[in-house]
Amino acid sequence: MEGFNDNFPSYETMAHHSEEEGVAKRKKLWTVFFILSAITIVELIIGFYPSSFSDLALKFIFIGGTLLKAAFIVLSFMHLGEEVKQLRYLVIAPYVIFIIYLSFIALNEGMYSKDIKATMDNNVLNHSMIKGAETAPHQATATEAHH
Amino acid sequence: MSSHSATLDSTTAWDGGKSPLGVSYGKMMMWFFLVSDALSFGGLLVAYGFMRHKYPEVWPDPSKVFTHFPGTHASVPLAYVGLMTFILIMSSVTMVLAVEAGHRMDKKAVEKWMLLTIIGGAMFVGSQAWEWYNFIVGSHEGAVRTIFEDGQWIEKTIQGANLQYNEYGLPVFADFFFFITGFHGTHVFSGVVINFIIYVNVVKGTYQKRGHYEMVEKVGLYWHFVDLVWVFVFTFFYLL
Repeated sequence: MEGFNDNFPSYETMAHHSEEEGVAKRKKLWTVFFILSAITIVELIIGFYPSSFSDLALKFIFIGGTLLKAAFIVLSFMHLGEEVKQLRYLVIAPYVIFIIYLSFIALNEGMYSKDIKATMDNNVLNHSMIKGAETAPHQATATEAHH
Repeated sequence: MSSHSATLDSTTAWDGGKSPLGVSYGKMMMWFFLVSDALSFGGLLVAYGFMRHKYPEVWPDPSKVFTHFPGTHASVPLAYVGLMTFILIMSSVTMVLAVEAGHRMDKKAVEKWMLLTIIGGAMFVGSQAWEWYNFIVGSHEGAVRTIFEDGQWIEKTIQGANLQYNEYGLPVFADFFFFITGFHGTHVFSGVVINFIIYVNVVKGTYQKRGHYEMVEKVGLYWHFVDLVWVFVFTFFYLL
């Protein structure tokens, strides 16, 4: 690279491209931007009328849309799709494996601890071990609307 | 890519053999940092999911909490956070356009797009401050909660949320909201600062002299990561 005078590391691998290539690349980037915006707008519209979908459908739509957006950002905006295969997998694979494992464990345990909590609250009430346990703060009725 | 291999000198690359990953040291370490940072955010969001699955029946409905929009008192759920999301996606696009201009060694275009990115980031941080303000102040009516005060449990009308009380429901919801959006906001803020430093270097012509704009690309990676995290925060806090 002519005129290149970075001290360390002693070379650079950054890609350069011409004006003509730039036009095509910019067009691609704007396309990705419109896709991201479209997904977000669809999610917002669905979020506005959540009652017309089942809970499971909402989860699938929102999480699916999020993962799709994440893929576009990582592969296109962060150029990971253009990096060599080794780097791509080095970044994505450990993270995906770990986070799938972690969310499976944590969400499962969350539901389990909900059941455990219900059982224990019952026991506490039955044996009157703790006075006033029925008005503990995290049992506050929070479901009623406020607006 | 047009000139990846052309500039890779196998005798001096990293003063060893050829780079197996085809990127410079700085960019590789930025990726590794982003993976570790993503694990931090992943851990926080998974912890949020844990609590949400533990208290499903008393979990606040976000569409009833975040209903404010500047200039109106009407209840418009999701509109403001939609705007915030749009601002951040927009600033992500301007960032990647700055990187693209850097590949063409177009100094003027890099300056323009980086400046727009900084403005977008600052707007986002400002929006988040407004969102926090409304959440802390709360609704006009408030809600009656059982709270611990002066050594006993009492019924009291609570307005807004802080780390101890939450008008909208479970206090832990407010704790997670403040911590996760705060952690993300800190990232956005430091991203704006870093972008500004690199912007000053671009204006000074440091990278033009160096012959490449890889520093712009590196801060660009960080900036897109901030956008990426927001995509998830947006889904788990506002949509689901």
